[in-house]
Amino acid sequence: MKEEQRTLVSPNRHKEFVVTGELVEIRDRAHAGETEKKGQPEDKTGKRLSPPEILTIEEVARQPVDGIDTAKALSAMADIGPEARLFVYRPEGQAVRYEVFEDPRVCPEVHRGAVIENLKEKPRDVSGWRTHDFFIDLKGCLGDECGRCAIVCPENAIHLRGKGKGSFHEIDPLACKGCFICWVECVRTAADCILVDGKTFDPGMRAKHFGE
Amino acid sequence: MATVMAGNGAAAWGFRLSRVQCYPYYPITPSTSCSQQISRWVYDGAMGAVTINAESEHSAASQIIAAGKNVRAGTATSSKGLLYMIEVLENAAGGAIPCGLFIGNRATGAPINIWADHSDAYAMRDSGLIQIFAADGQESLDSIIQGYRIAEDLRVRMPFAVNLRGFTGTHAYEGVEIPSQEEVDRYLPPFVPLYSLFAPEKPVTYGAMLSAYPYRRHKRNQMAAIGNAAEIALKAGKDFAEKFGRSYGHFEWIGDRKAELVVALLGESAAAGEVATRHLQGKEGIPGVALLKIRLFSPFPAREIAQALNRAGTKAVIVFDEGLQHGGVLPPLAQRITAAVHLHLGGKGPKIASVIGGLGGSEVRQEHFQLMFNLAANIAEGKPYRPEPYWLDIDEDPIFVEQENQVSPKLWKKWGEIWKKQPRQEKYCAPIPPDTEEIRIYSRAGQGAITSAVGFTGAGIENGYRLVTVPAFGSERRGAIITTDTLINFHKERRIRSFMRAWDVVILYDDTILYSPEHRVLDGLKEGGALLVNTSHMSVKKIRGLLDAGEGRVRIFTAPAAAVSEGLGLKHINMPMLGALHKVYDKVPFDKALGYYERNVPRPREASLEAIRRGHAETTDQEIQRTRKERRLLVSQDFLDWRPEDHSQESWPSALEEVQIG
Repeated sequence: MKEEQRTLVSPNRHKEFVVTGELVEIRDRAHAGETEKKGQPEDKTGKRLSPPEILTIEEVARQPVDGIDTAKALSAMADIGPEARLFVYRPEGQAVRYEVFEDPRVCPEVHRGAVIENLKEKPRDVSGWRTHDFFIDLKGCLGDECGRCAIVCPENAIHLRGKGKGSFHEIDPLACKGCFICWVECVRTAADCILVDGKTFDPGMRAKHFGE
Repeated sequence: MATVMAGNGAAAWGFRLSRVQCYPYYPITPSTSCSQQISRWVYDGAMGAVTINAESEHSAASQIIAAGKNVRAGTATSSKGLLYMIEVLENAAGGAIPCGLFIGNRATGAPINIWADHSDAYAMRDSGLIQIFAADGQESLDSIIQGYRIAEDLRVRMPFAVNLRGFTGTHAYEGVEIPSQEEVDRYLPPFVPLYSLFAPEKPVTYGAMLSAYPYRRHKRNQMAAIGNAAEIALKAGKDFAEKFGRSYGHFEWIGDRKAELVVALLGESAAAGEVATRHLQGKEGIPGVALLKIRLFSPFPAREIAQALNRAGTKAVIVFDEGLQHGGVLPPLAQRITAAVHLHLGGKGPKIASVIGGLGGSEVRQEHFQLMFNLAANIAEGKPYRPEPYWLDIDEDPIFVEQENQVSPKLWKKWGEIWKKQPRQEKYCAPIPPDTEEIRIYSRAGQGAITSAVGFTGAGIENGYRLVTVPAFGSERRGAIITTDTLINFHKERRIRSFMRAWDVVILYDDTILYSPEHRVLDGLKEGGALLVNTSHMSVKKIRGLLDAGEGRVRIFTAPAAAVSEGLGLKHINMPMLGALHKVYDKVPFDKALGYYERNVPRPREASLEAIRRGHAETTDQEIQRTRKERRLLVSQDFLDWRPEDHSQESWPSALEEVQIG
């Protein structure tokens, strides 16, 4: 028996929230009632409800914001000083709400609420942390058939190069902190694949890591 | 038009009108019925939200934080539940996640205690939440709506908590004005999340680990953000007054503008303080008195309070705390006020003494406030006072001592010099003449006394009076004797929700309560008041004989409620007793109240209405001859002869037989 469905009241004009029993499904308002289309996944990046922007006085001065009285906003921001921010909410490109306020969280390093915007983080050179050098020998690497080392690497230091038969993995020497995880997890038990300090096989080191 | 509801119901309306979209909860006394009401609305489809039955308060708090990133979220809790949430709630405050909590304030163990005080709110004091103390259901509804507006402001972005005293606040039934959804929508803008939910092109990390350098800067910013909340709360309160006609500030100053003597406190207990203040105002030989009812506890409006005290020319402030700061110099509120006065007024500020009371459900009555004003007057006159908290209602350690032998020699050695110089002044402590009319119901738990009292309250409110019904809770056991009190206030412009404990009518839902050694039903009954008893076989004369009371002391009425209910097939006797109450107490006219009952009686409606009418008709203060119908249990000979060794299925004696005599 099909369970009864109901839609939640929501101010979101793009998505609707459909409750079936205890499950909440989120779907586009346009597609309400339709079954999901099979085939090529749509690129929804542009369609997604964008979050509000919080702009500094320099950013507003550089690029006027459409749909609002930028001059008035700028003068209000100038009254407050360098802590002034302009909040603009443009869910569909048009400003529906904007507000000038004094940001109590002025520290440039820490975002509002200690939220870290992941893509803005710059990679750091951690090569000084490691005591051994790691290198993947492309002769031994299975390429895109395997990819286990890239998955397990905690620092995302291992990247796939190439496609198909000729593909192989590569370790970013700046990002590798020498944790041995790829070496332990390698499906080929690192035999002629991951070289540690130029050596493919070191009984002493194996004993240390595998307890053999 | 006011609707009758309990404080918890009003809080639930606050969440509903704020269009809360996610409500995870774990129920705990005394805030359970708030969550219960919301989950009922969600089930019925009246409220478009997702409720989650969390497996603990810890999870409920985690869920409001997770939800609060992207939708408006709220929950309700109390006591230990709140303490269990604190671990997580600090993340909401540090992570700038606005979400709302309603707290039915309750004591924290050990010893375990389910009744009201502010221990849980004080325990949460340093978790970074905005804390608002509401004094009744209406204030908690309004404060929740305002709370979301303050919390979601870009200069704040903080979680908030609305506190209401357990039972006397959360379970007090009174008239609450419910604003319309459109009005609230105009006041409270829709929630705007600062980051998209699941945005692969712009991923963010919440609650990341920070080392000392960014951590200390972030914490400083967090303090700045909660500091902004004070100013925004003032603006939110002002806007609220414009739209809804009820004004809210950081605190309420009740009493004289120029007040030498001030009692400062938080929340619901102000109801009793208000009555005492109004009584003392303008009395001969008493300087200006005022009650400082603080609404915004965190961020504490230190400068405003200091300025208000300075402006009023206050000489002595008594700070009343319903909670402790273990090992501290003064309890939390007293400490904050002392700091405020010291920092902003320096040596010119008033003298401050601290009183602790109302712990674990202790009553806070008018006479306590009279004592506090008396103490304030003594301090203002320059008498010495304790540099540590006084206690209310502790027999071994009273505020005023008349004779030395009243307390232990050890205590007298410590405080005797102060006690000797602190006189108890009759002009402050004279009893307050009752200004309201009050009804007390003694019933057995499960008889439906609360339902009938709430019905009466609704009918009274519809007829333009101000009524409050406060049931007693605690003996959560079917058949135990409980009390339900209703207050009728005829002043239309004045809010009174504190009981004088002088009953105009006392109602017994069960005649066996007359024999209870613990309940002296005439205690507190006004001279010439009425006693209404549900009885099928006792005569007025017999009751009078049992109570040993003359005609002038009490008017006695009897109602055959059990017979009426039985005749109509009702399980409870509360509906006939409701009708009977109108016969005994006619200030709320029966014909007008019937209109309300027609719309609101519990099912089965027809039978219940008929029961109310018959209860009203059959109640009398006359001696009437009733057909005696006595029931007695007869014990058969088999039962007496039975021995354990005979025990078998076949020989099981059919023991009890019900026989009617007469």
